[in-house]
Amino acid sequence: MSKVIVVTSGKGGVGKTTTSAAFAAGLASKGYRTAVIDFDVGLRNLDLIMGVERRVVYDFVNVINGEATLRQALIKDKRVDNLFILPASQTRDKEALTKEGVESVINELKEDGFEYIVCDSPAGIEKGAFMALYFADEAIIVTNPEVSSVRDSDRILGILQSKSQAAINGETVKEHLIITRYSPERVNNGDMISLEDIVNILSVPLLGVIPESKAVLQASNSGVPVIMDVKSKAGQAYMDMVERYLGEDVPHRFLDVKKKGFFKKLFG
Amino acid sequence: MTVTPSVLELKGEMLMLNVLRLQDVNVDNIEAALQKKRDEAPMFFIQSPIVVDCSDLSAEQGNLLDLRALRRILVKMDFVPVGLRGISNSMLAASMSAGWNVLRSATKRPAKLKKATETVVNNKNWLNENNQDKEAFTQPEKDVTKIEEIAEIRAGMTIERPVRSGQQIYAKNADLVVLSQTSAGSEVMADGSIHVYGPLRGRVLAGVKGDKTARIFCRSLEAELIVIAGCYQLLDESNTDLKGQPAMIRLEDEKLIIEPLD
Repeated sequence: MSKVIVVTSGKGGVGKTTTSAAFAAGLASKGYRTAVIDFDVGLRNLDLIMGVERRVVYDFVNVINGEATLRQALIKDKRVDNLFILPASQTRDKEALTKEGVESVINELKEDGFEYIVCDSPAGIEKGAFMALYFADEAIIVTNPEVSSVRDSDRILGILQSKSQAAINGETVKEHLIITRYSPERVNNGDMISLEDIVNILSVPLLGVIPESKAVLQASNSGVPVIMDVKSKAGQAYMDMVERYLGEDVPHRFLDVKKKGFFKKLFG
Repeated sequence: MTVTPSVLELKGEMLMLNVLRLQDVNVDNIEAALQKKRDEAPMFFIQSPIVVDCSDLSAEQGNLLDLRALRRILVKMDFVPVGLRGISNSMLAASMSAGWNVLRSATKRPAKLKKATETVVNNKNWLNENNQDKEAFTQPEKDVTKIEEIAEIRAGMTIERPVRSGQQIYAKNADLVVLSQTSAGSEVMADGSIHVYGPLRGRVLAGVKGDKTARIFCRSLEAELIVIAGCYQLLDESNTDLKGQPAMIRLEDEKLIIEPLD
């Protein structure tokens, strides 16, 4: 059985694409045949973060329009087996996404034996985001410890549970919460909302907390999903999240303020 | 400088009255049946106002009804005849000459949602022309339909999932039960009362169609805005110490009262 998982947030810049890339790469590294689709037509980013931007020939919209086959458009990752990327078109806009077109692509991926189909949603609540979540069985909600992000996540959860195909059929989309850019220090200072408060506001089960880390930006800029940077806390936290998603009992890490040593205090 | 003395005060009041729904036009039969009813509770009916509803009668039956005799019987039994309702046009002249006020017939709207805003003055104009008052008069007689409507309201609407920011839930002619939370930026509305078993964080509007008896119940009061029958309050502007606590909100004299639920 294949599962369609949307990675969404409402708000932009919270780490949807980073999470999509890391999550898909993590699932693939665990041996699952995984495809990740960029729904951000017109502002494609996933290919950059996955480091395949120079290998894009055909894209998602080409497949929807019948200008290319799915096989031609899917880019196989060179680092991880089982990982395939379906890039968005940079030259079209989101109107190019049709329900029938998206459905046929997802069905073809399912028939092709993909176990996980990760849909990287664009920001906002407009057509692109709607298309990304419409066929979802499960949703990963990406939130930053910040009020507007939490509010927007709540909004997208409402849309998910009322406008998605599952919701229309009277089913529920399984929800998972990922908090990214979490900084325990700043939570202690009162600059950020604590994860307890976020979970309380959203009442969605917590799948992972990704600490604020320079490794994320470095990884993005070098086109490597951060999960592959096994030395970084963010990479480790993403791997924990993938294992937790697959049913393993992994405790949450990186939630406490680390005690600074004498030299750290002196030199920052 | 002269101060104009107050001449009168006009205010709304609900009035209980009896409605006599006629199914027969034989005045003797009516008298016997009514006497029997009255004897069951003679004290209750003394000086009590009564409206005669003829809407069950056909036009021919109506023309056969002796309105003068009917009025006499009612007065004799210590009723205060208020007026006739549901009469055909052909009865109009006879009604007037027999000294009856004629009320416009009742509408089918649920009586409990209406307002009686006029003062109770025994004035013919008022009886004939005021739309609001006849609604007050229709109330007791509509007991049967009222029970049905209440049963409908009791059916309620239950939401099992959280009501998220940007979502709007409206329980039409019903109570609303939310088993989970309502988020900031959401809106839950009901014509009846609203019960929220998770934290209540968004906007909450009970008695949307004007039911002042509607209430709001919640396990944790964190709402942005609370409204009952159009009376509203921002929770942040309220000095209640029940924020975040189990609470019940009701309307009393146009004011929202927030009380502990325990």
